[in-house]
Amino acid sequence: MPRLGYDERAAALLVFPVVAVLLVVAAFPILYSFWVSLHDVVLTRPLRRPFVGLDNYLRVFADERFWIAVARTTVYTVVTVAATTVLAVLVALLLNEAFPGQRLLNALLLLPWATPSVVNGLMWKWIYDPSYGLLNGLLVQLGVLERYRAWLGDPDLTLLLIANAAVWKQMPLAALLLIVTMKAIPEDLYRAAKVDGAGAFRRFLHVTLPALRPGLMLVLVYETMISIRHFDLFLIMTQGGPGDASFTLSWFIYVETFRSLRFGTGAALSYILAMATFLLSYLFIRFLGRRL
Amino acid sequence: MSGAEDRRAPPPGRAAARRPVAPRLGRGLLLAAFSLLFVLYVAGPVAWLVSSSLQTEAQATAVPPNWLPPEPTLANFEAIFRAAERVVTYETRRQGDPATGGFLPTGAQNLLPSLRNSLVVGLWVAALNLLLSLTAAYAIAVIDFRGRRATLYTVLATRVIPDIALVVPLFLVIRALGLINSLAALVVTYLAVTVPFTIFILISYFEGIPRDLYRAARVDGCGHWGALRQVYLPLSLPALVAALTFAFLTSWNEFVFALVLTQNVEAQTLPIVISGFVMDFTTSFSFVNAAGVIAIVPPVLLAVLFQRYIVSGLTAGAVKG
Amino acid sequence: MATIVCEGLTKRYGAVTALEALDLTIAHGEFMVLLGPSGCGKTTTLNLIAGLEEASAGRLLFDGRDVTWLPPHRREVAMVFQSYALYPNKTVFENIAFPLRLRRTPRAGIERAVRAAAEQLEIAHLLDRRPHQLSGGQRQRVALGRAIVRNPAAFLMDEPLSNLDAALRLSMRSLIKRLHHQLRATFVYVTHDQAEAMTLADRIAVMRGGLIQQLDTPEGIYERPANLFVAGFLGSPPINLIEGRIEDGAFRRAELRLPAPRAEPGREVVLGLRPEDVEAPAPHLIPLAGRVELVSPLGSDTYAEVSGPAGTSLTLRVPKGWRVREGEGIEVGVDPARLHLFDRASERRIA
Repeated sequence: MPRLGYDERAAALLVFPVVAVLLVVAAFPILYSFWVSLHDVVLTRPLRRPFVGLDNYLRVFADERFWIAVARTTVYTVVTVAATTVLAVLVALLLNEAFPGQRLLNALLLLPWATPSVVNGLMWKWIYDPSYGLLNGLLVQLGVLERYRAWLGDPDLTLLLIANAAVWKQMPLAALLLIVTMKAIPEDLYRAAKVDGAGAFRRFLHVTLPALRPGLMLVLVYETMISIRHFDLFLIMTQGGPGDASFTLSWFIYVETFRSLRFGTGAALSYILAMATFLLSYLFIRFLGRRL
Repeated sequence: MSGAEDRRAPPPGRAAARRPVAPRLGRGLLLAAFSLLFVLYVAGPVAWLVSSSLQTEAQATAVPPNWLPPEPTLANFEAIFRAAERVVTYETRRQGDPATGGFLPTGAQNLLPSLRNSLVVGLWVAALNLLLSLTAAYAIAVIDFRGRRATLYTVLATRVIPDIALVVPLFLVIRALGLINSLAALVVTYLAVTVPFTIFILISYFEGIPRDLYRAARVDGCGHWGALRQVYLPLSLPALVAALTFAFLTSWNEFVFALVLTQNVEAQTLPIVISGFVMDFTTSFSFVNAAGVIAIVPPVLLAVLFQRYIVSGLTAGAVKG
Repeated sequence: MATIVCEGLTKRYGAVTALEALDLTIAHGEFMVLLGPSGCGKTTTLNLIAGLEEASAGRLLFDGRDVTWLPPHRREVAMVFQSYALYPNKTVFENIAFPLRLRRTPRAGIERAVRAAAEQLEIAHLLDRRPHQLSGGQRQRVALGRAIVRNPAAFLMDEPLSNLDAALRLSMRSLIKRLHHQLRATFVYVTHDQAEAMTLADRIAVMRGGLIQQLDTPEGIYERPANLFVAGFLGSPPINLIEGRIEDGAFRRAELRLPAPRAEPGREVVLGLRPEDVEAPAPHLIPLAGRVELVSPLGSDTYAEVSGPAGTSLTLRVPKGWRVREGEGIEVGVDPARLHLFDRASERRIA
């Protein structure tokens, strides 16, 4: 082994605190969680924690609630990511233009981003409120709706309404990323396209969109990874209901662990969700990276 | 293209005015329309939240809704800040008239302590996060040492693990350490969440500082600590501001970990107490909305104040991560 | 001030070897230039001497003291960079004073030393400015000031003039040479510019691929290049290289025949002829004839591209006073003593 020079001793010293913190609060829990997922850990029975191998995983896969949760999570994630991306592209196109007031709109963009998710949830829940909500009021005043509805109580709408709240909060970051990518497109490309006779829409299609690829990629991966694990809104707005209409994986993990106190299956579920997240972002990068 | 307008003599010194008028007008109208939609979408919900927090319960729950407060009142905010003075019992709750906003949730007196908890945790996290990340980011960005990549990947890996996967084991670890329901538990947890991101921001910023400055500092007589303090620190103030803001915002807004790791007013943060109100059906809407407004104000102030740094930091960190 | 000795100094980055067992002794007070194309290992050598990188193998001695594992801030070397590397947040005064402050020099001493250095470099009037308010030449003077303000064991310079425009480069070059004379200190100077190397160096180390190709005085390197690479790297316009073989004590290529009495017969060789090594024909010279394809007058000299015998294309300096025109014939004389012969396989000089 070569000797440790001044650089390596200094580096070790400088890196040590972070590594120590991350080991205790991240790495160890992750490994511990794996151990828990292989044991039958129930908090109300603290002394007996028998090793059960993959039983927790098998039990999860056999549980029909798991498959419901997978379906709900999929719908929710697809809707959220798609809506966020489309909206972010539109907003980025708008804010990339130079016009009076554009700076103000840029500042405004940070408003949803800075809003705590709990407040986001409470705000939309209040807007959706069946008796006094703004959505009802607005639609009735406009004559679209005859009388007030219990929006979140409608199993067909619940996921979409929660997704709407999520999109509102997530869109700004996605838009910011896209704006940065747009700013990097050389002006010459647009001038060349104009000279070639391309109109605004064609310029968007042939210049902006291809150049936006890395930004879009990033947005897709990032939004998928956070949407798939959303939890806050579900607790605040619906608690998995009505029925199982918003019973997503992260809600399942919470219920299984902290309501049923079955930590073993909870840990197994967490692992499954983490793996799915990894796999998805890998697939995204692998297959969409080229084509998008 | 409208040739008629093209032929008019352009006003002197205004290059833009030589453009045809019709498309310019169209563009202006289009931009105005989209700007309006944008403002309504982004600011509308928050405006409604603020508006209804300035109404009495009766006004806020009117049908059809009062878009603007008919007689703006700070009664809800007053109720929050004076909640500690009144003991909320079944009787006093009954006495409070729902229509005047005096109908307080049982946990109302927890709001101010939780506000304090949120501030304390946020400040600690911001400070410690910066201290830890600064040295690590410097080492990773600047020093060529064995294990550099391994360190970087460790940090990266903890960043991509979903929070929800960490909740269960972290709860067990914190419980084993006897730290459940303590601010310290929250601070340590939030450090794990924020440090990787901060490290990415700082690394990408440090890599933008010319390498020759580092070399100059070293031959001039700086050790690594000296180079960090004398060169990297003064030159990366924007990134440091961004990092401080992110850490504070993340910890101020965080919900899941706080929900699991805290149990009462000793350690509960603002989002936890507010979520308690939301799920309590007897709570008056105007009161909850006022609490929500209070929770929004600090992060929004910070965001507006440090907008420039946040945008550059966010995009740098995200592009790297 | 110091004698610097590199013993088998090696630097590897993973599988890539940047510097291979470098042996080099730089005498006290010597001006050593490391010359070579980018990636040749010259900057790595400089970084190793400064301590900015750690050696993978070998030793480094300053005046006999082993400093191989000493970090840069304990080595007492000063460095000047291509990018100037001035601290943007400090004034000129603070930039120059910085090394002294780090050494806890008393305030009065700092003031005196900074003023003296600034006077010497004629930047005393700029002391309150910040780097971004200075021109490139002024910035490099500040960087030099930061180096000379203390008494370092050696001055290390990493392409210090490469960012300056041509005129400034000349005046800074003489400034550096003057500084060397005044300070009598050891200088190690890295550059890819042969003119800088020739004018400044006591000795030049020509490097390529992490290896020293030749270590000699500027004259020695120009007169007796050790191999094809060195021959080609120095000289402007570059040396003419003609492939051929040795037969009957002469270099042969088709009808071209030049005497080479000492070379062994049958050998595949490359003949080198510097453009400036031709004169008006004379009895003791070998005649060389061809057709002028292109004339490039530079004012002081005129060069001609000539299609010579045996399908060669040569660049030649037109002898003083001649008038040549494109398309016309030309005949010059070559001194056989000024021809260079290299082995084609090993690329080494044939003595």
